[in-house]
Amino acid sequence: MNHIRNKALIGIFVVFIFGLSIANMIDKDREISEIENRRLQQLPTFSIDSFLSGSYAQKFEEYLTDQFVMKMRWVGLKSDVERLLQRSENNGIYFAKDGYLLEVFNQEGRYFKKNLESLNVFFEKMPDLSMTTILVPTAVKLYEYKLPLFAPTFDQLKMLEVAKNELEMDFIDVFPLLNEHKEEYIYYKTDHHWTTLGAYYVYQQLMEHWEMNPYLDYEVQEVATDFYGTSYFKANNYHLEPDKMFIYTPHDDVQFTVTWEDQTDSLQGLYNMDYLNQKDKYSMFINGNHALTIVKSSIANGKKLMIFKDSYAHCLTPFLAMNFEEIHLIDLRYFNLNPYDYIREHQFDQVLFLYSLSMFSTDSTMLKLKSFQ
Amino acid sequence: MVFSSLVFLFAFLPLILFLYFITPMRWRNLTLLIGSLFFYAWGEPSYIVLMLFSIVIDYTHGLLVERYSGDRKKAKLVVTSSVVINLALLIFFKYSKFIITSFNKLFSANLTIPTIALPIGISFYTFQTMSYTIDVFKKVAPAQRNIINLGTYVTMFPQLIAGPIVRYQTIARQLNHRKETQDRLAEGILRFTIGLGKKVLLANNIGLLWNKILSTDASNFTVVMSWLGLIAFGFQIYFDFSGYSDMAIGLGKVFGFDFLENFNYPYLSKSITEFWRHWHISLGIWFRDYVYIPLGGNRKGRLRTYLNLFIVWFLTGLWHGASWNFILWGLYFGMIISLEKAFLLSWLNKLPFFIRHIYTLILIIISWGLFAFDSLIDLKAYFKVMFGLEEIALCNQTTLYYFTSNGILLIILVLASTPVMKVIHQKLSLWKCYLVIEVFMTPLICLIILILSTAYLVDSSYNPFLYFRF
Repeated sequence: MNHIRNKALIGIFVVFIFGLSIANMIDKDREISEIENRRLQQLPTFSIDSFLSGSYAQKFEEYLTDQFVMKMRWVGLKSDVERLLQRSENNGIYFAKDGYLLEVFNQEGRYFKKNLESLNVFFEKMPDLSMTTILVPTAVKLYEYKLPLFAPTFDQLKMLEVAKNELEMDFIDVFPLLNEHKEEYIYYKTDHHWTTLGAYYVYQQLMEHWEMNPYLDYEVQEVATDFYGTSYFKANNYHLEPDKMFIYTPHDDVQFTVTWEDQTDSLQGLYNMDYLNQKDKYSMFINGNHALTIVKSSIANGKKLMIFKDSYAHCLTPFLAMNFEEIHLIDLRYFNLNPYDYIREHQFDQVLFLYSLSMFSTDSTMLKLKSFQ
Repeated sequence: MVFSSLVFLFAFLPLILFLYFITPMRWRNLTLLIGSLFFYAWGEPSYIVLMLFSIVIDYTHGLLVERYSGDRKKAKLVVTSSVVINLALLIFFKYSKFIITSFNKLFSANLTIPTIALPIGISFYTFQTMSYTIDVFKKVAPAQRNIINLGTYVTMFPQLIAGPIVRYQTIARQLNHRKETQDRLAEGILRFTIGLGKKVLLANNIGLLWNKILSTDASNFTVVMSWLGLIAFGFQIYFDFSGYSDMAIGLGKVFGFDFLENFNYPYLSKSITEFWRHWHISLGIWFRDYVYIPLGGNRKGRLRTYLNLFIVWFLTGLWHGASWNFILWGLYFGMIISLEKAFLLSWLNKLPFFIRHIYTLILIIISWGLFAFDSLIDLKAYFKVMFGLEEIALCNQTTLYYFTSNGILLIILVLASTPVMKVIHQKLSLWKCYLVIEVFMTPLICLIILILSTAYLVDSSYNPFLYFRF
């Protein structure tokens, strides 16, 4: 009996260890990982120096783990085991009810108060401008009731209240409106962004605040049914349904062009549909993240809007483009020129600061508003 | 290199196994030696010279001791020389920073604090090489004439980095002749796999809870959480260390060596004295045989016994790390053991099992508090919370969340700390049909552990970014 068992043990071990080692050698190396959004370590070149300094060993280990065969299968398996253990989160994402993946938000964020100060500094420096701030709470607050048992989440409402009190400029609290519509599809289930519908509601609230007429005559088109977003690739629960993406096309005949800072290319229309064939579908909206994006519409009303933003603004912009002939979007994470000079060169009717609450409280680049004159 | 890594499992291990088993018998020690040197150099290229130096020193000293076996005084001199050199190495590389910092604090001096990188495994291999010369002196084992064999003993990669501390006498014979049988091979593989599972699936996982608790915002911290934290840490360190020992023992077996057990269900102990006979056994034995007994043990009167205990536990604590909290940790145990020896054990023996067990567990949990914090300030703060001396809630939602999201894992950990699986296996083995099932079940379980461990190891390197990194 024992003989057979021992042979089986040895056999299984040898096949597993040697099998995977050989599979790894045969499997071709990849240069980038679309899923992880980064370059993968390649086979390092050996040299006595690099070995003695320890850097060869380190790079080789990185190489092996980066290029490991069937990586996503292993990662998915681990996620499954975590859920088997009744663990309700993986890599910073809660597995919530109804297929919602909610990003953990457990503390205020180092830069929250500092960024509020930066906005106040901006207010002092540009006293003649009309400006507004919107901080969008994240899905984990709206869908608290779907969270796993006892799962803690930080009180984002308190943060919004602090923002309202501390900011000199106008602040729009969008939580009540979003909360009213939370049973609708206003946040993606597998991505950390809000949906076009969520942005649409806030657009209407913003127009009311600015005493402008919101454009409401749209045809809603479903452009993607297989959207797996950022949270999906962190949580790695591969048994979930994908998200759908919608765009709102105005019935009126309006033309749009989008350009960005290098100006060599331009986009006809508001959406770069090529992104729908890739993993990062959300970048379809106004061609994703750039330091400076300029959206021009054929509605010649001479109105100009400046938005300091993170990616939450991308699906809000198509609505705003019906009310402003020009929208300039600056992403302070990548924009390194003097934003004040840029504003002085143009005449903006409104300035909008639009951020998700999580980005706003953890990003340090807004301090540029303090350092520039 | 660590055993629980993809590069070890899927690059080094298959390679060394292949090379070892195609090498003819008499060259196998050399293969193992070269492989082990490579293993060490991979993680620590510059300090390999140090280890080679240690081997040469002890090779020559071993031969000299044997040469002077007639002249006790001369032989003793040689042994002393070996011990002094090895300790000097250890103290210089591991403790100089600690000694100078403490000296500065104590005497308000301002000596420059040296920054010396700690060579991996030095605490283990210096102890092993010392044990070699001492064992030859005590005539428990003959001197090793073949420097390659001695080198193999010292550098053998299964126990090089994290023990168990293998005394020369344990494997002296096997160095020269050993049999790698199929039974041994299978046993070693099973042992290794269990150790891998303990480390990757259990220790690393509960370690995440400990890290989470440590980084929990002060406003969210509770008394219950602080105890849960140390329980998590206690499980982490047990499964990490015993898992690593299992892997070492398993690998040793694969290459034909029988190391001694290093852990024996320590968390079942009913007294601290018993605990230290089941925890890090090889270290306990080393200090007993090479420090406690030579100092006289308990044969020189009561006062001397307590002094000897003090010294042994001071050193045991110090061995674990160059920091005052480790010394405190060692002395903490020394004190309890002395008390148990004096009268506590006889009291305890009259109490029911259950109470003795709880008594031991509580003392152990507290000891992990001493072990976990390098900084005495942090240590004090943590203990204040634990014993309700801070204005802090008893429990809260976050604490409950930590329990529910780790509940099943904790149950598994508790079960795995007991021999319940072994006992069930033994009882069931009386049935013939179980034996048939077991033939398939054990290899299957082994495979599952391998697959899951690989999944967790791959995932730990999975590192997605929000936007593309150029």
